[in-house]
Amino acid sequence: MAQPKLQLRIAQSAVLRYGLAVVSVAVALAGALLAQHYKFHNVGRQSLFLFSVAITAWYAGVGPAALSIVLSSLCFDYFFTEPRYTLAFTLADVPALLILVIFATLITRFSAVRHRFEGQLLQARDELQIEVLERTQQASLLNLTHDTIFVRDMSDVITYWNRGAEELYGWSPEEAIKKSSHELLRTVFPLPLEDIRAEFLRTGRWEGELKHTKADGTEVVVASRWALRRDELERPAAIMETNNDITERKRREQEIQSLNQELAKRSTELEAINKELEAFAYSISHDLRAPLRHMSGFTELLQRKISAVVDEKSNRYLTTILDSAKRMGNLIDDLLAFSRIGRAETQMNLFSLTQLVREALTEVRQDAEGRNIAWKIGALPDFYGDRSMLRLAFVNLLSNAIKFTRTRPQAEIEIGCSEGNSDDLVVFVRDNGVGFDMKYVNKLFGVFQRLHQSDVFEGTGIGLATVQRIIHRHGGEVWAEGVVDDGATFYFSTPKPRGHLWKP
Amino acid sequence: METMNKLGRILLVEDDPRDVELTLTALEEYNLANEVIVARDGEEALEYLYSRGKFKTRSGDNPSVMLLDLKLPKVDGLEVLKQIKSEEKLRMIPVVVLTSSKEEKDMVASYRLGVNAYVVKPVDFHEFVNAIKELGVFWAVINEPPPGSVRK
Repeated sequence: MAQPKLQLRIAQSAVLRYGLAVVSVAVALAGALLAQHYKFHNVGRQSLFLFSVAITAWYAGVGPAALSIVLSSLCFDYFFTEPRYTLAFTLADVPALLILVIFATLITRFSAVRHRFEGQLLQARDELQIEVLERTQQASLLNLTHDTIFVRDMSDVITYWNRGAEELYGWSPEEAIKKSSHELLRTVFPLPLEDIRAEFLRTGRWEGELKHTKADGTEVVVASRWALRRDELERPAAIMETNNDITERKRREQEIQSLNQELAKRSTELEAINKELEAFAYSISHDLRAPLRHMSGFTELLQRKISAVVDEKSNRYLTTILDSAKRMGNLIDDLLAFSRIGRAETQMNLFSLTQLVREALTEVRQDAEGRNIAWKIGALPDFYGDRSMLRLAFVNLLSNAIKFTRTRPQAEIEIGCSEGNSDDLVVFVRDNGVGFDMKYVNKLFGVFQRLHQSDVFEGTGIGLATVQRIIHRHGGEVWAEGVVDDGATFYFSTPKPRGHLWKP
Repeated sequence: METMNKLGRILLVEDDPRDVELTLTALEEYNLANEVIVARDGEEALEYLYSRGKFKTRSGDNPSVMLLDLKLPKVDGLEVLKQIKSEEKLRMIPVVVLTSSKEEKDMVASYRLGVNAYVVKPVDFHEFVNAIKELGVFWAVINEPPPGSVRK
């Protein structure tokens, strides 16, 4: 960049340099003539010419200096040696002329050497300037990155500290440079430093996680990458350390890890509880039913034996015992079915709801025997869910509808589907039965909750709780609307299956 | 009755004496209890089938049906079933699981082991009697037992 300027200066001075030689000799001659005229004999005429040669040699180089020597010699010979005003040489002139020539040559030579050095010096300076410029640019580039970068020498003294480092650690370059990096940052290494160093010197790079302490005393975890720079002789010269703050990531990782552990613990606990529940249900299923069966069986046998000889009241007692045993059997069965829904894995499938309702109707047909029921079944979509669970839900809803319309000469039961909001599918079962008071709507879906006396409408009070549990397991909701003596509607909503599966 | 002559031997494996009595009563009610061998736990059932222990001197033929409870002392019903179905000599004996439990895992396990029928004992005595009667009629009368079974 500075090179053309340098050449231009030399080219310009080609004319000036020789001009300088002529002018300086002319000035020396004028001075010598003036000194002669005013009789200043103590002014050495020779030294005036020597001075002009020196000036020329110094400022204009070898060529002009030679010219000025020739010109000075001629002038000196012409004006100041006998015979004057001729260019004739006498032997007496030789020493003075020789001194002039030797001296001028020495000055010229000296100045030429000096010129050469000056040239080299200038070139070195220019090169240095260029390098400084480039380095500065590189350094400012390193300052642009958000990565934390610093350079330390082989004894870990910091020599460069970018803006990222300042931002992360809180020390300015002035504060950090010349400090020992490991001391400043209180580095905690994952391995003994000697091991890291050995690997680093062998491979020229190292990566790992370090713990540093910032200027404000807080700790940071960084992902650190070290790169080794070698000098021209391949000796290790410096280490560039690039660090990324991963404190937050580490913290999250740890958080996730501890959450996972917690989750694993919880699920183990849950599994244990589930196992216990299963064992409990299993034992109820086996052990609670057996005595009931015996009570029922032997009471029956007893009744057969003595019914003819005991009074009507005693017979009624026996019948009550039998009914109670049967009722308790039903309770246990329902409760077990209810608990099974909570425990069983759902088997999700796409199936026709119309088909399912038809099957449920077949199952409750016995309840509807001898009854006058007008069934109204609307268009039902395909459904994505656990088929057997959903059938159980419909069986419960339909048998409820049949049961609670018993007092109607003409029962009407409607099963339909309304779309609800765009994400949910809403199915309802409506009847014109005895209904219920909305005041008690919250009790409807509780286990063993009943709104009717058992001698009016029999039941275990688990049916709707079972329906609710089934729908909850499908991610849906159940609710009901009713008016005393004017029918009830039971709704459930489930999330629609995604994509093309749902068709009304 | 004609059926009387065709009755097979029934092996009833049941630990609860009350259940034994009720079952026998039900079988008697329909004259199906001609020959019922009662084993009170799984071990006894196996002893009978292998003609060892207290059944060392029993007559050689296999029962025409075995009514097997699942919850049994010593060796439980599923283990008995497993042994029978993996034994060449015994695997043809029809086995009916007769249990209190309607647990799905029991049902699945039983069928997986090759049970011939699975019946849940009803709580109601009428239903219980009906179930036993139908079982007795089917397995001891209607069904043709495999060769080598007792049929009187």
